[in-house]
Amino acid sequence: MTVAYDDAAAARPAVQAHGVGFRYRGEPGLPDDDATQPPPALSDVTLGIADGEFVVLCGQSGCGKTTFTRLLNGLIPSFHTGDLTGACTVYGLECGQAAIEEYAALVGSVFQNPKTQYFNAFVADELAFPCENAGWEPARIRGRVDEVAQRFGIAHLLDRSIFRLSGGEKQRIAVASACMLRPRLLVLDEPTSNLDRRAMDDLAALLGDIKRMGVTIVVAEHRLAWCAGLADRYVLFESGRIVGDHTAARFAAIPEARREAMGLRTLDVAPFRRRVDALAARWPERADAAANARAADDAPPAPPRPVESATAPGPTTSGPTPADSADTVARLRGTPLPESPAAPPAGPHAVPEPPLTDDRTDDTPPLPRQPAGAGTAAPATPGALLSTRGLVVGHRPAGRRWFRRRCTPDTGGFSRPIPDLDLFPGEIVGVMGHNGAGKSTLVRTLVGLARPLAGDVLRRGAAARPRTLMRAGFLVMQDVNYQLFADSVRGELLLGTTGEDDERAAIRAVCDAVLRELDLTGLADRHPMSLSGGQKQRTAIASALVCGKELIVLDEPTSGLDRRHMVQVGMLLRRLAERGKAVLVVTHDEELAAAWCDRILDLDAVPGRPERTPGRTAGQTNPIRPRSPIRQGDSR
Amino acid sequence: MSTVTTPAPPADAARGSHGLRLDPRAKLFLLLEANLLLFFHVGTPTEAVLTALFIVPLLLAGRVRSAVRFAVVYAALLGLSLIETPTSGGWAWLAIVPMLAVGIRMLLPCLITGAYAFTTTSPGEFTAALRRIHAPEAVVIPCIVVIRFFPTLREDYRHIRDAMALRGIPSGGGSPLRHPAQSLEYIIVPLLMNANTVAQDLSVAALTKGLGNPGRHTSMADIRMTPLDWAYMALCAVPFALFLTGVWR
Repeated sequence: MTVAYDDAAAARPAVQAHGVGFRYRGEPGLPDDDATQPPPALSDVTLGIADGEFVVLCGQSGCGKTTFTRLLNGLIPSFHTGDLTGACTVYGLECGQAAIEEYAALVGSVFQNPKTQYFNAFVADELAFPCENAGWEPARIRGRVDEVAQRFGIAHLLDRSIFRLSGGEKQRIAVASACMLRPRLLVLDEPTSNLDRRAMDDLAALLGDIKRMGVTIVVAEHRLAWCAGLADRYVLFESGRIVGDHTAARFAAIPEARREAMGLRTLDVAPFRRRVDALAARWPERADAAANARAADDAPPAPPRPVESATAPGPTTSGPTPADSADTVARLRGTPLPESPAAPPAGPHAVPEPPLTDDRTDDTPPLPRQPAGAGTAAPATPGALLSTRGLVVGHRPAGRRWFRRRCTPDTGGFSRPIPDLDLFPGEIVGVMGHNGAGKSTLVRTLVGLARPLAGDVLRRGAAARPRTLMRAGFLVMQDVNYQLFADSVRGELLLGTTGEDDERAAIRAVCDAVLRELDLTGLADRHPMSLSGGQKQRTAIASALVCGKELIVLDEPTSGLDRRHMVQVGMLLRRLAERGKAVLVVTHDEELAAAWCDRILDLDAVPGRPERTPGRTAGQTNPIRPRSPIRQGDSR
Repeated sequence: MSTVTTPAPPADAARGSHGLRLDPRAKLFLLLEANLLLFFHVGTPTEAVLTALFIVPLLLAGRVRSAVRFAVVYAALLGLSLIETPTSGGWAWLAIVPMLAVGIRMLLPCLITGAYAFTTTSPGEFTAALRRIHAPEAVVIPCIVVIRFFPTLREDYRHIRDAMALRGIPSGGGSPLRHPAQSLEYIIVPLLMNANTVAQDLSVAALTKGLGNPGRHTSMADIRMTPLDWAYMALCAVPFALFLTGVWR
């Protein structure tokens, strides 16, 4: 088992926690009595983890799993101070006795947010960082950086600025950096909350390799599906206590419904994936029956689609039947599904092109972006709130100018043709696709924050300028903190509204109605920054409703959410749609997409591929140019 | 917002390795000297000679465009500042032109050496240089953090501008001038709020990687002062020394 690290006794347990309790110290400045004390984050936790084991800590938000990981990497009690009781040893380091620096050599840590967990601006520096702190000699550091980069498949990234990497690449760097000092234990705190499907699979493969090296791995995670094949044990937390400790086999044997009742996300994402794929395959067909019938009559026989048969369930597919997966999805949603796309009406249904499920290996030039039958000047579909015709989104490469604008993170060009789409009031449309597929650029174009490179966005049939779109649409950003400006929730809703006294009364009435509708009435006088993530999200949406926005776009609204909060977001989407808003949700979360989206645009599956042109000034845009320290060392 | 990635410019590393490459410490020396020029108010000939000497390494480091740009701007300002303007009469106000030209011209050496030092040095080399000159960790770490923070701030600023536009709050380029108080509130406050959380996350990331280690910290970048570095530093020191000793003014 311990091939690479056979110097220590393998029999010794990696982690031994005995009756551990922890309570974060309250806000400084508050009186130190019991009334203001937060409830304990951990109480009476007893857990042993064997050397080389892969343990998943699960449970709802605030259940104590993150606190437990902080105990393992020494952040408690050195950084997060509080009252610690009981004893916890990590490879012989006594919690509360050992300094956090002693943990650095034994425990590698990976955190939730890929954006803020690297300390250096460049990949090679970030990898070298732990070794530099440990005082290694330069030559030895360079050797180790090279070795780890090779093993983790990131050698081609060494010269790059971490800011320019995708979320998946950033998380890979984070894992690599955590492994630099050959840790015995790797602790990951919700490492996938910002990752797409492919990046999650990559991370799983990477952790599989690390596990085979004999490293003990502890993951605190909401999304359980990605590590289902790796985990040896699942430890379930609830209100700071351990309420379940199952081996992987026993955990998998628990009926899905019972795991759901524990507030856990699905262990098997396949049913959700199937529904997402089925919905995406039907794009741009709408759910209503009339559209179905028309499409079925008009469409020419679909060409054979071998690529799809692998993912789309049919009568011949073994394993769970479509009815099963519909059940699972409907259970999450709380209501039956409106129709089962897994069992399409007999006969070929309208799919404009065979989907390009793997655009990386396909070398053909981009297919025409129009669905069959639609001309470039096709009129907007009646009833559509927003339509795009021949739209190409992206941004041009920064030119050679005397005063270069530095507002875009990368100055290379990017363009992505978008198949014509129509957004209808009362409908939830999901936008999926891997990082870099152009999802963000598309929604930025639809809400008027970016100009289209070509083509038109029509609002109720008329070509609309970005300014008009900006008035009609609203984007709830992934980090909603940027969007809250006022000093109270009510002020947030009234911000920017002006008018005479009688109008103000009307606006106040609207504001109160919106507050009620989004369950914010009790919070109306709170400062927005004092709210929880979900409450902030609702406040931002409320501000959009008061302004009378017609299109609400949400960017990754469920990243890092447990099942209960994800369901809340899903219901919120539904409520917005029922209110007559067009709802567009950009997401990697297949559970959310499967249960609540009426239609799904999968940018990986529709024709048209992102094209990139390296910026002509790419070498200059980097304020500090990366240079390979390794090459540099060789050159002398 | 998900990140859009571009293929790395592959030529970068190769381009940096040929031509004249000064040690980061020599770069810091040039930067210091440029600041001393301003401090001692050196004469125009000395300043012009030194500016030319400062532009040369930029040129040799492959940053031809910015070197030429600096040279042109400096020459233009030099020309403008040498104009004799009437001291009385209706055109006396023209004296403001050479005055401004001199003011900006005197700042240019600092800008040139600063641009050279910071665009041709990787953060790793920079920290190595600081550690080599025995700067305390209390100086080194804030420097790393500043380098790390600038792109974050830029990105945050973009997000906030977008959010303001969506809410119909004026956010155009001129708005900080027209509505200073509002801009302060709507831009600076969220920036600081976010910086606070980023700072917390960074501290956690750094501490778990042993930043707090009491022992000696090393640097991966292997930097070395070569005879060339010493020679160039000496060359740049000569005109300044001549000016200070009064031999050549």
